[in-house]
Amino acid sequence: MTERSSTFPKVLAIDDSVLIHRLLQVRLQHEEIQLFGATRADTGIKMARELRPDVVLLDIELDLKGQGMDGFGVLQVFKDDPDLQDVSVIFISGQSTMEERVRALDMGASDFVAKPFEIVELQARVRSALRVQKLVRMLAQKAQVDGLTGLWNRTYFDRRLSQEVGEAVRHGRSLSLVMCDVDRFKKLNDERGHPFGDKVLERLARIFQTGRGSDIACRWGGEEFGIILPNTVGSEAIEVADRYRRVIEQEVWPSVPGMVITASFGVADVLVLPNTPTTEDLVLAADAALYQAKMNGRNRVEAAVAAHLPG
Amino acid sequence: MRLSNDQSMLRSEFADDPDMAGIVALFIHELPQRLAAMHVALAAANHEQLRMLAHQLKGAAGGYGFPKLGEAAALIDQAVRVGNDDNVIRSRVGMLAAIAARIRP
Repeated sequence: MTERSSTFPKVLAIDDSVLIHRLLQVRLQHEEIQLFGATRADTGIKMARELRPDVVLLDIELDLKGQGMDGFGVLQVFKDDPDLQDVSVIFISGQSTMEERVRALDMGASDFVAKPFEIVELQARVRSALRVQKLVRMLAQKAQVDGLTGLWNRTYFDRRLSQEVGEAVRHGRSLSLVMCDVDRFKKLNDERGHPFGDKVLERLARIFQTGRGSDIACRWGGEEFGIILPNTVGSEAIEVADRYRRVIEQEVWPSVPGMVITASFGVADVLVLPNTPTTEDLVLAADAALYQAKMNGRNRVEAAVAAHLPG
Repeated sequence: MRLSNDQSMLRSEFADDPDMAGIVALFIHELPQRLAAMHVALAAANHEQLRMLAHQLKGAAGGYGFPKLGEAAALIDQAVRVGNDDNVIRSRVGMLAAIAARIRP
């Protein structure tokens, strides 16, 4: 059944009985899923790490022989693995006691099905787990997205930048950071009201989303944005930032005819920083450049590199 | 338990389900081997192996439409787990074999 549409969610069954695998193959064949199977705890864990399944059907009484791990052990491995801890686990059980079921649920299993299977119930429970799983994934993503602008939020920015800085330093690759701050935003808010200020931020976010596919635009906080540019040297990053600067400057604001809103930009390239730069070094360097842009009259791009500024 | 006196034919509850036909036939085909393995384990006093075989049958037989077979396997599983003596275990394996003998495609 593994040749079925690869867009279908993945369900991995871990059970030591080949009889159960055959049964699941037949009984779940009309569901819109891709079904995978493992008969041992160790192969099941290995497959889960490779496949990243949406739902795991796990035999609680998994045979221990030579593996030192029953269903509880496998569940514990999942819960200790950041990549697997959100997978919905449905326990399959023939003769579990109430205490065992409670223990499994408290460990993070999401549901139970009893052997022998009531087929319609099994199918419904798998569908239910898949629905929950979809919501969990959506929530996990939502927790990293800024509510107002739809850009990545600060939490995501911090995590992603630290990841990218690590990669860049390890492989000697370039990585640039662009920090952007709306000019005189407080005055704008005071004079036009906060709803208008929000509109400005939303519009800028949309502009940042028109960038190159590899650029990672985030709302850093307040009226400040951070754009991570992997594999990009400082001079390229300056060009990117200056394009944004020009687009913002030329925006038309229908509710306030003739109004011009501008933003200032600071750019830093990880390669020009001394020693082994940290995430904090890069943010500080870009922020210092941004401060310089403000000092030099706003609506400008300044860089923490000795590069030629366009325009 | 008067199961052993009952000689009537047993068919899978899913005998008319076209989805199930293939795996039910395979299940019936493999059943003698499973029983043989249980007898071997019993003769060798390998209770853990016997329990595992009974346990797998217990969990699966109902799914293939043979709940009585599953119940008989459960009695073996239970007898081994609570440490019943070999006579009890042997008679329960006999009951399982009697039910299996009544199964027809």
